[in-house]
Amino acid sequence: MGLNAKTSEIIAFAFLTLAALTVAGFVLFILYYIVSNGYSAISIEFLTEMPRKMMTEGGIYPAIVGTVYLIIGSMLVALPMGILAAIYLTEYAGENRTTWAIEMAINNLAGTPSVVFGLFGLAMFVKYLGFGPSLLSASLTLALLIIPVIIRSSEEALLAVPPEYRESSLALGISKWQTIRHVVLPASIPGIVTGSILSIGRVAGETAPILLTGAAYFLPRLPDSVYSQFMALPCHLFVLATAGTNIAQTRPLQYGTALVLLMIVLAVNFVAVLVRRYYRQKLKI
Amino acid sequence: MTEAIQNVANPQIEVKDLNLWYGEKQALKNINIRIPKNSVTAFIGPSGCGKSTFIRCLNRMNDLIKSCRIEGEVSIEGKDIYGPGVDVVDLRKQVGMVFQKPNPFPMSIYDNIAYGPRIHGVNKKDIEGVVEHALRSAALWDEISDRIRSPAFSLSGGQQQRLCIARTMAVKPEIILFDEPCSALDPISTAKIEELIMNLKKDYTIVIVTHNMQQAARISDYTAFFLMGELIEFGKTRQIFENPGEKSTEDYITGRFG
Repeated sequence: MGLNAKTSEIIAFAFLTLAALTVAGFVLFILYYIVSNGYSAISIEFLTEMPRKMMTEGGIYPAIVGTVYLIIGSMLVALPMGILAAIYLTEYAGENRTTWAIEMAINNLAGTPSVVFGLFGLAMFVKYLGFGPSLLSASLTLALLIIPVIIRSSEEALLAVPPEYRESSLALGISKWQTIRHVVLPASIPGIVTGSILSIGRVAGETAPILLTGAAYFLPRLPDSVYSQFMALPCHLFVLATAGTNIAQTRPLQYGTALVLLMIVLAVNFVAVLVRRYYRQKLKI
Repeated sequence: MTEAIQNVANPQIEVKDLNLWYGEKQALKNINIRIPKNSVTAFIGPSGCGKSTFIRCLNRMNDLIKSCRIEGEVSIEGKDIYGPGVDVVDLRKQVGMVFQKPNPFPMSIYDNIAYGPRIHGVNKKDIEGVVEHALRSAALWDEISDRIRSPAFSLSGGQQQRLCIARTMAVKPEIILFDEPCSALDPISTAKIEELIMNLKKDYTIVIVTHNMQQAARISDYTAFFLMGELIEFGKTRQIFENPGEKSTEDYITGRFG
């Protein structure tokens, strides 16, 4: 005999709640762990100065700047390309072999391990195109990495725009492109922004692709052009924790670096949320 | 087909032997009709009879449906709109459309109406006049003139539909197609839209699809009855309702099916 409806409801509810609480618990634990170990390292000096004495003292300023540049650089490339590709796929592409091939390529790109992107960036941007290990090579590599994410979320955002908007704009004698430009795209911005939030987190956190394409082990100055090498927070953290000159001594610096990385991602996400809210209110949807 | 209609001297819309298929399924069969200028013509018939499909042939909205195939001729002002070299965008400027559900854009009332003229290149300083004129023509100005910058979604359903009519008029079409414009509205809003449509025929040629036979009888000059993809009967509204020539028209009008 099966359980009665009420009992099974209680059991299901208990398991679902437990699962949700476990996930939230882990997230909170990681946050607590990093904050409690890292906050003592945070100081004005830590945030604004160059590393000193083989990175056992001093700050992480160049790594912060490098990560911010990477976010900006990869977004400048990936956002327009991703959004334009999504517009093509949702609004223009027919149901044919070409479209199928493009969709397959995007799906496979999304599932490709990031180190493979790193190797591709090394071969393509660093060597073949001659950009060298640089901010440019690394930003382009990261852009390729996140373009599938941006395409997918932009496609969803575009498809969520009610077809009535398109119909009534076309019925006013307004061309398809103008309709997309003036009605469909503005209405889908909140969704597109939400999608790019996820990719910003990835850009800030990826290590392997930038290690191969331009991140420096140690570089006590800021990049002065897109062809410069740079430091970045995740690589710096990796170096301090595995290959530093004194791993035990720099432990507080490691936690501090992790905390700063976390804060940057949260701050960028927060800005993205504000942008999304602004557009939602403007559109009143 | 009734004598009087065949003799419409200068029809604004003239359809000859129109056939339409969705994939394998034929949705319209040999439609022939001549719609006179500055009149209200109603398309009636049971669900699935092809009346909405047909009205969408008149501004080529069916182009958006991939499986749709059309044969025959639709002339507006003597020009075949399915002929070579026809710019669909220009056609839709000339033939406006109001849809079943009120569907304003997610913008302010003002921007909803200014949207079309702006893109069509109307002078910036003239836009305000165009907006006011359109709102007045749609009998909406007095109700909302103090809040034209507020979002269009803050209007009631009936007001939204009149806004959509104003939006259509703002691009100065010659013909306005209404695809069941009142089916989502309450009776009071419906009455306002009907009154509006009757006033509009001075300036526009109106074609309206309606489910509501009383509505067709109240507001139209001509009525076309569709059944299973065929145009069964077309004539002066009074004649269609009082003295239909076909048994099936009479059955539909008297409510025996539909």
